[in-house]
Amino acid sequence: MEMYSQAAWLIPLFPLAAFLVLTALGRSFRRAGVLIGTLGSLAAFVLSLFIVIDRLDANTVDYNYAFDWMKIGDYTLRIGFEVTNLTAMMLVVVTLVSFLVNVYSAGYMKNDERITVFYGYVSLFTFSMLGLVLSDNLLSLYIFWELVGVCSFLLVGFWYAKPKARAAAKKAFIVTRIGDAGLLLGILLLFWYMPGHALDFTTIQSVFDGQSGAITTGITTLIALLIFLGAVGKSGQFPLHVWLPDAMEGPTPISALIHAATMVAAGVFLIARTYDIFQDSAAAMETVAYIGGFTAIFAATIALAQNDIKRILAYSTVSQLGYMMMALGLGSLTGGVFHLFTHAFFKALLFLGAGSIIHAVHTQNIHEMGGLGAKMKVTAWTFAIGALALSGIPPLSGFWSKDMILTAAFETNPLLFFVGLAAAFCTALYMSRLFFLVFTGKPGAASSGAQESPVTMTLPLVVLAVPAVAAGFVETPWNGWFGSWLSGEAEAAHGSGVAIVASIAVGLLGIYVGWLVYGKGSVSRTALADRVPWLVKLLERSYYVDELYAVFVVKPLKLLGAILIVIDEYVIGGLVRLTGIATVSAGRLAARLQNGQVQTYSLAAVIGFVIIVIALVGRRFLP
Amino acid sequence: MSILNGLPILSFILLSPLVGLLVILLLPKERSSWMKTAAILTTLVPLALSLWLYAGYDKQQGGAGYEEQLSWVEVPLNKEFQNGVAEFVFKFQYSLGIDGISLPLVLLTALVTAMAALAAFHIKKRWKSFFVWFLLLEAGMLGVFLAQDVFLFFVFFEVTLVAMYFLIGIWGYFHRERAANQFLLYNGIGSAIMLLAFVLLVNTAGFRIEQAGEQASFIYSGSYADILRNMTDPAAWVNMSPEQLGGINPFQMTETMQWVLFIMLLVAFGIKLPIFPFHTWMLKVHTEAPPAVVMIHSGVLLKMGAYGLLRFGVLLFPEQAREWAVVLAALGVINILYGALLAFRQQEFKLVLAYSSISHMGIVLLGLAAFNELGMQGALFQLVSHGLISALLFLIVGSIHERTGTTELSELGGLARSMPFISGVLLTAGLASLGLPGLSGFIGEFLAFLGLFESMRWLTAAGVLGIILTAVYVLRAVLKITFGTQPEKYGALKDARLIEAIPMIVLLAFILLLGCYPSLLTDTVQNSVGTLFEPLFATRAGG
Repeated sequence: MEMYSQAAWLIPLFPLAAFLVLTALGRSFRRAGVLIGTLGSLAAFVLSLFIVIDRLDANTVDYNYAFDWMKIGDYTLRIGFEVTNLTAMMLVVVTLVSFLVNVYSAGYMKNDERITVFYGYVSLFTFSMLGLVLSDNLLSLYIFWELVGVCSFLLVGFWYAKPKARAAAKKAFIVTRIGDAGLLLGILLLFWYMPGHALDFTTIQSVFDGQSGAITTGITTLIALLIFLGAVGKSGQFPLHVWLPDAMEGPTPISALIHAATMVAAGVFLIARTYDIFQDSAAAMETVAYIGGFTAIFAATIALAQNDIKRILAYSTVSQLGYMMMALGLGSLTGGVFHLFTHAFFKALLFLGAGSIIHAVHTQNIHEMGGLGAKMKVTAWTFAIGALALSGIPPLSGFWSKDMILTAAFETNPLLFFVGLAAAFCTALYMSRLFFLVFTGKPGAASSGAQESPVTMTLPLVVLAVPAVAAGFVETPWNGWFGSWLSGEAEAAHGSGVAIVASIAVGLLGIYVGWLVYGKGSVSRTALADRVPWLVKLLERSYYVDELYAVFVVKPLKLLGAILIVIDEYVIGGLVRLTGIATVSAGRLAARLQNGQVQTYSLAAVIGFVIIVIALVGRRFLP
Repeated sequence: MSILNGLPILSFILLSPLVGLLVILLLPKERSSWMKTAAILTTLVPLALSLWLYAGYDKQQGGAGYEEQLSWVEVPLNKEFQNGVAEFVFKFQYSLGIDGISLPLVLLTALVTAMAALAAFHIKKRWKSFFVWFLLLEAGMLGVFLAQDVFLFFVFFEVTLVAMYFLIGIWGYFHRERAANQFLLYNGIGSAIMLLAFVLLVNTAGFRIEQAGEQASFIYSGSYADILRNMTDPAAWVNMSPEQLGGINPFQMTETMQWVLFIMLLVAFGIKLPIFPFHTWMLKVHTEAPPAVVMIHSGVLLKMGAYGLLRFGVLLFPEQAREWAVVLAALGVINILYGALLAFRQQEFKLVLAYSSISHMGIVLLGLAAFNELGMQGALFQLVSHGLISALLFLIVGSIHERTGTTELSELGGLARSMPFISGVLLTAGLASLGLPGLSGFIGEFLAFLGLFESMRWLTAAGVLGIILTAVYVLRAVLKITFGTQPEKYGALKDARLIEAIPMIVLLAFILLLGCYPSLLTDTVQNSVGTLFEPLFATRAGG
């Protein structure tokens, strides 16, 4: 059997080459640009596929290659790549979604004058994300971690002339940077505590796995929490989730690629990659679980009251990422990663579907849509598949992964089990609200001229619908293939009848309630808003988190800056002026000695200098 | 090695700008394009030579084999001493040398100056004298990094001061004269303190014995090697030739004296670096000096402060520096946060960059305070990296100012549409400045944090907060300029001309190269850090 894994370093180089060529070509080669970008991601996808097929055999060993990046004294910083089953899975997810988004954008971005720039950024992002996935140590992961952040920033702000896009891009970068600072500190801490200052995942695993006691629990918890802070920023967990809904200002294909399927899942991936550290600290695990659980329900409730189709999906993403975190925190590595895997497909599908709708109706307000099902059949059917998968309806992929998480919660933490169920109910409800408002009923204000999107856009939807339906079968309550493939250990069957029944029940109930209100219309849509207007308002405004940040972070920072400006100008600057005045008046005294000739000054300076030297040096030896 | 082997290449590097200067003096006054060409060509010579020097530098050998010395002035002090065999001489010598610490800075100087010469097309008057001062400035800067004698160092340091004074005062913007005066005044105070410290140093640690047959000369000089040796091993001469010295050690420095000297040097170079609260003089320079000059000022001149602090403050007084490591780190953190917060509130882009320099120089202080190899490497990397990035940023400032006539943030916006190339470079430079991995800014920052974390965790954590604030102020300013919509009054703005694009691409290429392949710099520095800092790290281990 061949080892394609050895060639894994090539995978990120395809999109990188595409990026370089696109940048060099400039804006004029529009068609060629699209082709180059798409080919780069296709090549990466094909090679990734080979690798994962190669690795389906359970006995495949991990492949690792690293080299010295910097040698400083006794310390060596290394860069390398590593192919494990987890990374192989991520490779396929990233390259597949990236390839489909490339194809899709050929239609979606067709009339944008900067389409080659767009493809360049997408290629750069794909390169960075693949680099992140392949990294064999925390330092190189951090490097790519920052790079994907920048690509996300560039693409959110792609339509740079829009003030909203500018603000959103800035916010995305800065808020995630808060998390990045935490991750950086975690790396620093790890560097000084790890034996041999190693930062690679293999060593981390052996150090923390062996319970060697080399690192105390307190420090372990601290390291884990700092790493988690990085994940909170990147994966939009409370309280650093605020950037993700705003990031919807970017082109919709980007929302599918970066803000649904790949980059935002990097936080989950990071924790999965350093899971041994977390497992050594019960406190850290609990924090992850509770933050995740809280985020899941928190964001799901917000999604209930949003009217912008992309913001609904964005809050849904935040909520689903919360599920993944909760699974990790509850000790179910497989559950978290499995949900990451299925979510990537159905959420990318939903976003691309949303893009297809927006492309047709030129609005993002779901109340202006309606009755699109008949006009956009492919979009409607594929969207329905995505929505059902997200709502956790069997046998679609989302059901299996969500069920696994709920089972894990059911067995260990009843509180989080109920939180998860409540979030699942909300999920089904907001998705059915979205679906019925958009696709059924009377045509809305913007629906009149709508027609199905071109085949470049619908084809990716159809392709994504396949894994959205079927990807869940790799891991069912009766067959734990995925888990054992991932961890290399056979996992016990984990079915729990109660969890399955409850999970299906809340999903169906959510859809039913949604149908009653938004489909059949037997309950007034404004019934809730009429009775508890403050609650609806609270949800619409996303619990006023942005406003809280403005009051407690932004304003104080600005005020502090303003105070410092005054201090700088009057206190410190005043001292300078005082010195100036003193010197100038001293200078006036000596002014008579000056005649304006530079030669005289320099002569005086040299003479003075020599005198000082001789006086100081010579005096000591005089008798 | 090549045919240049054996020739005094350091002197070539140092003197080549002066040769160009003479040529320009001979050119007719009205031929501005000749002068410009001559100046650019001149700056390419030290650049080529220092590139060659860098490429051929033996990383294992360090600076050995590159010393160039000439005795300049000898002043006999007094004939007799003790038993009458000794002669006391004060020697002022021309002495050049390099090691892994100065070599990258020499290359940085040559590179930034060449790029600034290209960018000097903004200069509209008195070309001849501009380039004369400009090349004199380059010679001075190169001299500062090449000098191996404290007095020579001082002379070159002063040369840069005088040249800068005229460059700001004549070719600057509206308030140029005030800016120039403030610059001279504040730096003059620093220089005076530095000179006094140097005189005291030479007077004590500048001692050596030269044996010529039976006759032994007792020499006082500014030789850095002598001073360093005496400072590290105070009893060396007494142990080596006890009978000649009659059991008396002529090198004596009390601990109080060491402290006084250390603090004097800290203040002298702290003004230049600049360390809070000595920073206000440089704000005016940033806003008033012509862009080509600010490129040099913020790209190289600030580095002289850090270099001096390292070479004379930390290396000669390791005990004091070590004991004050916390102070240095605290000052570094203050620089980082104070600079970042003020940069965040500025309305003038040049002031954003000025405060940003303060913030970034704080990282150098953190690296120095770390007292390990990681920190030292980080500090040096940050010097080079910030030199490149700030030079690039001010290059762009010049281009924007030329087109729009302003650098007020409120007046600018949406330049990405009409000037995609310049805007792209500005964005990339901004990302480099905020420490994006893959670009050079990250490496210096990371190494400095990594080094400091060993001994001072909380201060490191406070410094790491800076990376968030940096993102805040950099993006605020850069996005204000490039994103959004362009004010209508500017009409159609032209993107970069070739002569602007070349230095931008070159600087960007170096930023990218160092960011991806940092060993290019760290390996060169390593040997010198290892040997020069050995006593330093030893005090750390011992203490």
